[in-house]
Amino acid sequence: MKPMNSVLALLGLLCPLCLSVPASADYPLTADSKPQPGVPKGTVTQHRWEDSQVYPGTTRDYWVYVPAQYESSKPACLMVFQDGRGYVNEKGHSRVPAVFDNLIHKGEMPVTIGVFVNPGAIPATRPGGKSRSNRSFEYDSLGNQYATFLIDEFLPAVTGDYNLVDSPESRGVVGISSGGICAFTAAWERPDYFSKVISYIGSFTNIRGGHVYPALIRKTEPKPIRVFLQEGENDLDNLHGSWPLANRQMAAALEFAKYDYRFEMGDGKHSGQHGGALLPEILRWLWRDYAGVKQGANQ
Amino acid sequence: MAGMASLILFPMLSRATAQDMPLTQVLIEDEDWKLVSEGHRFTDGLTTDGKGNLYFSDVAGGTTINRVDPDGTVTVVAKDAPRISGMHFGPDGRIYACQGGTYGRIVAFDLQTGMMEVIAENVKPNDLVVTNDGHIYFTETSKMQVSHIKPGGKVQAADVATKADGPQRPNGITLTPDQGTLAVSDYGGRYTWVWRLEKDASLSCRQPYITLRTPTPDLPSKGDGMTTDAVGRYYVTSTVGIQMFDPTGRMGGVIAAPSDQPIVSVAFAGPGHAYLYVAAGDSIFRRKTKTSGIESLSKKRQ
Repeated sequence: MKPMNSVLALLGLLCPLCLSVPASADYPLTADSKPQPGVPKGTVTQHRWEDSQVYPGTTRDYWVYVPAQYESSKPACLMVFQDGRGYVNEKGHSRVPAVFDNLIHKGEMPVTIGVFVNPGAIPATRPGGKSRSNRSFEYDSLGNQYATFLIDEFLPAVTGDYNLVDSPESRGVVGISSGGICAFTAAWERPDYFSKVISYIGSFTNIRGGHVYPALIRKTEPKPIRVFLQEGENDLDNLHGSWPLANRQMAAALEFAKYDYRFEMGDGKHSGQHGGALLPEILRWLWRDYAGVKQGANQ
Repeated sequence: MAGMASLILFPMLSRATAQDMPLTQVLIEDEDWKLVSEGHRFTDGLTTDGKGNLYFSDVAGGTTINRVDPDGTVTVVAKDAPRISGMHFGPDGRIYACQGGTYGRIVAFDLQTGMMEVIAENVKPNDLVVTNDGHIYFTETSKMQVSHIKPGGKVQAADVATKADGPQRPNGITLTPDQGTLAVSDYGGRYTWVWRLEKDASLSCRQPYITLRTPTPDLPSKGDGMTTDAVGRYYVTSTVGIQMFDPTGRMGGVIAAPSDQPIVSVAFAGPGHAYLYVAAGDSIFRRKTKTSGIESLSKKRQ
């Protein structure tokens, strides 16, 4: 990706109009993100969760991906995607089911169940009332409430039929924007459960106090979390903060505290395109030392 | 080149601001607070009618309910109304009010006839709101309780906090424009709490949906009077100023208080309900905004 960015940056200097090229054109998906002949396809099913006690009254859609290679006699790994609709979408920024199909088939990641969950909404019950979004409350808040929702309530219920490995090394948590800080918060609060984090254009800004993470990371005994951060030079700069600066601060803090992390700064805006294009590479990096995983093409 | 660059950047910036609600969407440059009325003891209870008149009380020592016309004229509209802290128009056109101190009751004033009716007694009300279908919700701060009176009914506890959960000193109270969510500020804490209004008008799904800024980490917000605007932003008076939040509970910013006196009540009123009024101790101030209050959406409350 880097040589490509340099070329684009140079073009940008020569011709300012080039800056208006959509980020999606800069970061095309690779073959790893597209269905390939001869690769078995996993199944995706859609469901709705309406029984939350942690967030009373919320309803949310979720999807479960089960790889073709899954066998109930062999425990599988688990990855949980916030704003799940965007990740599971066949034409979306990440197309996770196709990526999982390809990487699992090549042995570059373990057999992994994918859970894709949307943020909650509280539907109105009075005539004329509007549904109230619970996304910012769930995703942007620091603390353990969302981790508790995932770990103690939601995941056991929706993955109960599957044989899963019970170790933090076998579990990852993923999100974009506020879902990115949400994924980090879940692992930060519960490193005994999640050891792998992917954040695209993460909102480590002051929406609800998340700008403090770099300071917390530097002054907290390091936690056993492996973190991939993707960010773009042209990401948001608004009342909540500067996304590029906030992600640089995160990367610097993770470096200082000697975390196992990677930081990829592109030139995109507040978009999932760069993260989506990187996803196969991110997954190979995250799972690189997991038992039975082969070293992938870009290692 | 500079002009070209700004042209290119503009679509990006406009997309970025579309999902966020900074103070610049509400405040107008060079429109500062203007004094509306002074010489009172402790103003409170700001509310409005469908015409943009503002009403306020003088809770400490005063005995009148006062009206500020959109043009700024101040008139006494009810006498013999001491200890009024919270007011809101009902669908019947009367002003419903909290009468505290030794009165301890909810009352309704008919400004046409001058008649006052006692709606409920033996309560400790602080602030109230009335729905379009006549349900009264009010805070009983010392009881850690949000109380409810159905039309023609008796007082019942709609929600009672515990020391571990819920507003410790429930104070200001308001509704979203769709009247589907009730919000209550915690004078003694750092959240504004929300509930869903159910079909039977009961409250459910309590959440600390809005985090208030506090002067220091260990001091309470002193979250007090509240209102909402036509797009569903929340406004909460507090020690640090009037805190504004977007409809998903994210802070948009803090509007500075007009003076060094404590601010306890806010309402949109005036022409087009586009002026934000605030009760600041002995005075009432207002400033023009780019938004408008929810009363601008409804012609029911004439």
